[in-house]
Amino acid sequence: MATKTSSKTTRTKKKVDLRQKIMEQYQEYRLLNGHDPASVFAFCKQLEITEAEFYKHFNNFSQVSTAFWTDLFQNNIQRLESTAEYEEFSVREKLLSFYYSFFENLKNHRSYAMLTLKSQGFSLKREGNDLGLLKKHYKQWAKQLITEGKMKEEIAGRSKLSDNYDSLFWYQFMFLLDFWRKDGSTDFERTDEAIEKVVNLSFDLIEKNALDSAFDFGKFIFQNVRV
Amino acid sequence: MQEQDKIYSSRFQRTGKFIQTGAKVGRNYLKHFSKKLVTGEDDQNSLNESNASDIYDALSNLKGSALKVAQMMSMDQGLLPEAFSSKFAQAQYSAPPLSYPLVIKTFRQYFEEGPGALFDEFSKKSVAAASIGQVHQASKDGKKLAVKIQYPGVANSIESDLRIVRPIVGAMFNVSQSELSHYLSEVKDRLIEETDYQLELERSQEISAACADIKGLVFPKYYPEFSAERILTMDWLEGQHLNEFLATNPSQEVRNKIGQIIWDFYDHQIHTLKQVHADPHPGNFLFREDGTVGVIDFGCVKVFPQAFYERYFHLMKPAISDDDAEFTALLNELSFLLKSDKTHEVEHFKAVYKDVLELLGRPFFSPEFDFADKAYFDEIYSLSDVYQNDKLLRNAKAARGPKDAIYLNRTYFGLYSILHLLKAKVTTHSKVNGLFKKAS
Repeated sequence: MATKTSSKTTRTKKKVDLRQKIMEQYQEYRLLNGHDPASVFAFCKQLEITEAEFYKHFNNFSQVSTAFWTDLFQNNIQRLESTAEYEEFSVREKLLSFYYSFFENLKNHRSYAMLTLKSQGFSLKREGNDLGLLKKHYKQWAKQLITEGKMKEEIAGRSKLSDNYDSLFWYQFMFLLDFWRKDGSTDFERTDEAIEKVVNLSFDLIEKNALDSAFDFGKFIFQNVRV
Repeated sequence: MQEQDKIYSSRFQRTGKFIQTGAKVGRNYLKHFSKKLVTGEDDQNSLNESNASDIYDALSNLKGSALKVAQMMSMDQGLLPEAFSSKFAQAQYSAPPLSYPLVIKTFRQYFEEGPGALFDEFSKKSVAAASIGQVHQASKDGKKLAVKIQYPGVANSIESDLRIVRPIVGAMFNVSQSELSHYLSEVKDRLIEETDYQLELERSQEISAACADIKGLVFPKYYPEFSAERILTMDWLEGQHLNEFLATNPSQEVRNKIGQIIWDFYDHQIHTLKQVHADPHPGNFLFREDGTVGVIDFGCVKVFPQAFYERYFHLMKPAISDDDAEFTALLNELSFLLKSDKTHEVEHFKAVYKDVLELLGRPFFSPEFDFADKAYFDEIYSLSDVYQNDKLLRNAKAARGPKDAIYLNRTYFGLYSILHLLKAKVTTHSKVNGLFKKAS
C-alpha cells in the first residue's frame, strides 16, 4: 500500500516537472528567437519528448504562454496563504502583500514578461490574450476579497457600483503592471511606491467615506422634493 | 528665548500665503522677523504656537530633501529663531507611513524572511518617524530593539528634490545661484550618504567606540545581522526628548552637567576624530533619568580633511586678525577671499569676517561660557542681517568659503542652540586651545 502511494507521488511530480520544463523551454526559445517555435513537433524534438507528452499539458503554444501568468498568480496566492500573518491581515494589507510579492517574483522573469507584453501589444486599454485567463482568476480572487472587505466593513457596500469593484481592482492591477513595465528605478523601488499609493487611494475611496454620506443626503433630498 | 517668538498673526498669515505661492516675499518676511527678534523686545511671554506652525506648515510643503535644504539653509544663515529651528528639527518626510506588507517586503528583500520570523516581537505599526524612514519597535531574546526602515525611492528622489528646491531657496534666502550650487553639491553628497544605512551602521559603531571614554554618553548597540541597505537595527534607548526633559524643570547643576557632556562629545569628535555627527538637532539626543545622554542617528557624518581643519581652526585663534599678513593669507587659502577681489573689497570682507569670527568663536575664548546668555544669541541672529544687507557680499558672483565649512557651521549652530535651550554653563576647555598654545 505504502509503496503504491509513493510511486503515485513520484509520477505526479514527474508530470509537474515536465509541465514546468515545457514552460521554461518555451520561454527560453521565445527569449532567444523572439517568436514561437515553428511547430509543436520541432519544439518536442528539441526537448526530447513525444508530442503526446506535450499535448497532455497544453494544446498549443498560446496556452503555454498564458500559463506563465496564471502560474505566477496561483503560486503567489499559495505562498501568501501559507504565511501565518496573512490570515490576520486587513483586506487592504492582503492586496498590498499580493502586489508586492507578485512583482517581486515577476522580477525574476522580467525579460520574458517584457517580451510577451510587447508582442501582445499590451496597453492599459487592451491587456492582450495572454492575460485573459489571469484576468478571470484574479477577478475571482478579488471578488472574495471584496466580500471579505464588506464583511469587515473595510469596503462600503454601494449596490451596483460595488458589484463592479473587481473590474476596478483589475484595472488597478494592469495600471501597476504597466508602471512596472516602464519603471527604470533601482530594484523597481518606484513600483513599490506606486503600489503603496494606488492601493491606499483606492481603499480610501471604497471605504465608507464622505461619498456615502453625500449620496445618502442626495437620496434624501430627492425623495423629499418629490413628495 | 520663548518671548521672542510672538509675532503678529495678520502679517504672519499674509506671509505664509506668499511662501506657499512663490516664496519671494517669504524672504522679506523672515528677514523682518529676525530683525524684530533682535531689535524689538516683545513683552508677551506666551509663545504663539499656532503662528509658528503656520509658517512651518508652509515651508514643510517642501518635501523630503528639499525640506532638509531649506532647514539647513535657515540654520546656516542664522535666520530661523529657535521655535522654528526646533520645529524644523522634528520635520520629517511628510510621506504617509509604510504599510506593513511593504515593511515585510523590504525585509524579505534582504533577509528572505519577514520581520515576524526574525524577531520575537515586531510592532506592525511604526512608533516614530525617522528622517527618511520610520522606526518600529521589536524584541529579540528579551532585548528591546529599534528597527529603522527607509522609505523606498528616497535615494532616487534626492536629485529631483534638489532641483525643486533650488529656485525657492534661492529666492527665500537671497542667495546667488553660484553660492547655491556650491552649497547644494555638498548637501547632496551628505544626503546620498544618509540613504546608505550600511554606512551609517559602520560609522555609528566607529564613533561610539571612539567616544566610549566620555562619561555620561550612552550609545545603542547596533546589530549588523539585522541591518541592510535600508534597514538598521539597534538597541532601544529609553529617555526623554529635550522638550520633555526641560518640562521636568531640571536644576541648573543638572543642566550644566548635561551641557558639558554634549560639549565634550562634540569637542572630541571635531578635534580628535576629525569627523562629526553633523546633525545635532534635539531629536537625536535622549535625556535619561540617571543624567546620561543617549545619542542616536548617525546618518549624517562629516569627515574633515586635515588641511581644511588646520586652517579653519587657526582662524579661531584669539586676536588672529591683529596679525594682518597671517589673517589675510588664511582667508585666501580658505577661499573666503578670492584672487579677483579688489582692494576695497578685501578690506571690507576682512572687517566682516573679523566680526563674525569674534562672535562665533566667543565661547572658545574664555575658559567657561554661559550658553543661557540671550544677548549673545541675539547677536548671532542679527548676523543674518549682516549677510543679507551686505551688498558687496551679496553681489559677489563666486561662492565664498570652503565647502567643508558648511557642515561644520551647521554642527556648531546646532550645538550652540541645544546648549542655549538647556541654558547650560559649560567649561569650554577645548582641544582647540591647545592647538593655539602650541602654535604661539
